Amino acid sequence: PSEIESTLNHISSHRNVRGVVVLSRDGPIVRHTGAAYKGEHGRKYAGVIKKIVDACKHGFDETIERGDDLKISANTTKKHEIMISPGVISLLARV
Amino acid sequence: MQERRRADLLAKRQKLEEMREMRKAREASRTNARQEEASNSSPRKGMKDIDDIIDSIRSPRGSSHGSTTMPGTPTLRPGESSPSGRASRASERSDRISVGYEGRSVNGSNLPPSGRVSRGSDTGSDTLGRGKFISPSEPAPDPPETAPISSGNLTEPTPISQVPERNESILPPLPKKPKVEFYNREVQTSTYETVPVGPTEAEIRQRIQAEVEAARVARERELEEENNQMAKEIEDEIRDLTEEERASIFSAPEFFEFFEQSSKIMQRALNDPYDYTRDYRIGTDGTSVDSEGKRVRELCAFHDERWTKNRSITDIDWSPKYPELTAASYNKNPTAINDPDGIVAIWNMHLVDRPEFVFHSQSDVLSVSFSPFHPNLVFGGTYSGQILLWDTRAKHLPILKSPLSAAGHTYPVYAMQMVGTQNAHNLITSSTDGMVCSWLVDMLAQPQETLELVHAGHNKTNEVAITTFDFPDNETATFWVGTEEGNVYQANRYDRAGSKAGLNQHDIYKGHSGPVTGLHFHPLVGPVDFSDIFLTSSVDWTVKLWKAKSIAKPSISVNIIPPIYSFEDADDYVYDVKWHPNHPAVFGSVDGSGRFDLWNLNIDTEVPIITTSVGSGRAINKLAWDRKDGRRAALGCSDGKLYIFDVGDVGVPRESEWVDLQKTMAGILSGGAGQSGLPGEQESRSLNSSVNGR
Repeated sequence: PSEIESTLNHISSHRNVRGVVVLSRDGPIVRHTGAAYKGEHGRKYAGVIKKIVDACKHGFDETIERGDDLKISANTTKKHEIMISPGVISLLARV
Repeated sequence: MQERRRADLLAKRQKLEEMREMRKAREASRTNARQEEASNSSPRKGMKDIDDIIDSIRSPRGSSHGSTTMPGTPTLRPGESSPSGRASRASERSDRISVGYEGRSVNGSNLPPSGRVSRGSDTGSDTLGRGKFISPSEPAPDPPETAPISSGNLTEPTPISQVPERNESILPPLPKKPKVEFYNREVQTSTYETVPVGPTEAEIRQRIQAEVEAARVARERELEEENNQMAKEIEDEIRDLTEEERASIFSAPEFFEFFEQSSKIMQRALNDPYDYTRDYRIGTDGTSVDSEGKRVRELCAFHDERWTKNRSITDIDWSPKYPELTAASYNKNPTAINDPDGIVAIWNMHLVDRPEFVFHSQSDVLSVSFSPFHPNLVFGGTYSGQILLWDTRAKHLPILKSPLSAAGHTYPVYAMQMVGTQNAHNLITSSTDGMVCSWLVDMLAQPQETLELVHAGHNKTNEVAITTFDFPDNETATFWVGTEEGNVYQANRYDRAGSKAGLNQHDIYKGHSGPVTGLHFHPLVGPVDFSDIFLTSSVDWTVKLWKAKSIAKPSISVNIIPPIYSFEDADDYVYDVKWHPNHPAVFGSVDGSGRFDLWNLNIDTEVPIITTSVGSGRAINKLAWDRKDGRRAALGCSDGKLYIFDVGDVGVPRESEWVDLQKTMAGILSGGAGQSGLPGEQESRSLNSSVNGR
């Protein structure tokens, strides 16, 4: 769908953005832009992101407060920043 | 006994290994089963299996199946066990072992129910030994057998005669092995609990064994989890979406919505320049912030390729609730005939690239206004005379529309304003045929009241072609309108003593020689009340300052009221003028050459204090100050761009501004009403300078 494409491109072309990955809840990659996310490397990212989201969900839902779930997560590492926005179906992440 | 214990421990360890293997095998078979069997078929198969197993159990065990219920409680007699009891115990000893174990424990408890004997059986095959004890007899059927039996245990405790029924009840869960497993654990714990009845020696031994067992169980569990995880990871990595799946995901509306929301959030985060992980201890290269209070700088220009190209901005309004949101209405895009003729875009200061919301309309939207009393509603007046109401929570089409009938407006609605209080408010709209309608927010089907402004004394027609109107602050029943012929009139909404509803025929504010494009009353803020002063801007290149005649004293004869001052600095049509919301002496005006003028009456009345050229030199149609503190001004350009400017300290009034303005006004008034008369001007100038130069 063209609007989605244009929005994705817009975000990706932002100065700080290395790429955008749209994932499905179970893991496989729905869409990705940016050189960092092709193929295997991208899949690794996908797996990692899914694990992060699941860990957060487990942590929040079962431990801290029932029914709470991740809304948006910005993890800033020393070198990068990865932003995850989970939804019902998919996750959106960029570095 | 020590040796026995050691032997038991060994046996237990072995058992654990076996169980692990079996579990793996079971999982494998389970995944197979899941993929192959429909849930309907499995119960049939399982039923048969279960029958076999039950028989096999029954025969060696005798009729003590009732004791399967014993696991329910340590001290409860058999048959009294309750699922809840089991559950609680399960939570106590949550890490119990697996199916296999549990099968064995069942077997163990199948022995005669009396405490001693059962203990005997248990001690004979402890928690560990139990496993070992039974395992030789039936290692193979364990998996399927334990499943039904364990779940059988979990269901109501019933004597063995009812086993067949129980089996049926367990059939459905059969495919869902993991759940069964969990129940097995519960049962396991409960079976364990039966043991402590008896001499303390055994208890101690059991306790120790329990600890060991617990450790082992924990290890088991970890292993199991790892297995699960690995299996999942393998699944993840292998799977790759097919095109169909992709398409299906894309077409799902939830995906689109989710994507919109997420991408907006992402973009806002990207835009935010503040780095909250900043470490202030590290010496920064002095990033100079220009602290020049008098400078006006452009903050951002809102523009969207898709929507605002080739359109002009017709009106702007700031959101009363969210200071970062601005609404801008646009007219038609002549090059895109399929796009809606009029749109309203809500822009967010933090999200420069695309509008937060885009609302569509069938005809050009000429005026827009947020509802001050409902944070989600946006009103728009169109070229066709319709009043539209959009909701930010809804989609892009209006949720309410006024009809295209003679009841409402049939001419373009160029001005609208919301008056009243939270509980009693109306939307007042005016169109170029002289109709002024007042609407209730939820009832746009017809106006609450309509008022046709006619001016009998006019030379050609009665009609008053309203281009703009404004209510003075604190007034809801009387307003002033600016017309296409250049006059300003006062009008009342209702009859009141001394004056009728409608246009006040007698007072004509005559001064402009061209259509009045903007009219704005002085906002009521601060210690001194200037709310009878208003500004008008017109196509005749001037901005004029007027003092409104008091409504308390209506005139009885035709009375021409001239402006008290005229600002002649512009050299193009002046399209809008607005007082600053906080500073009493500051106002801004925008003109057709892209100029944004800031005036301060206390400093100079002849020329603006700051002039900025905005954008590419195209005309600026509208000006709106932001409501909160007037630091920012939104300028709507005819090329479709919405510029936000920061005016800095210009808008920050000092304490003395009000008094100064009073003096200025006095100077202006006494300087003569004539705006073009040179002596008058000189006089006022000298007066002003004397006032200012003290």
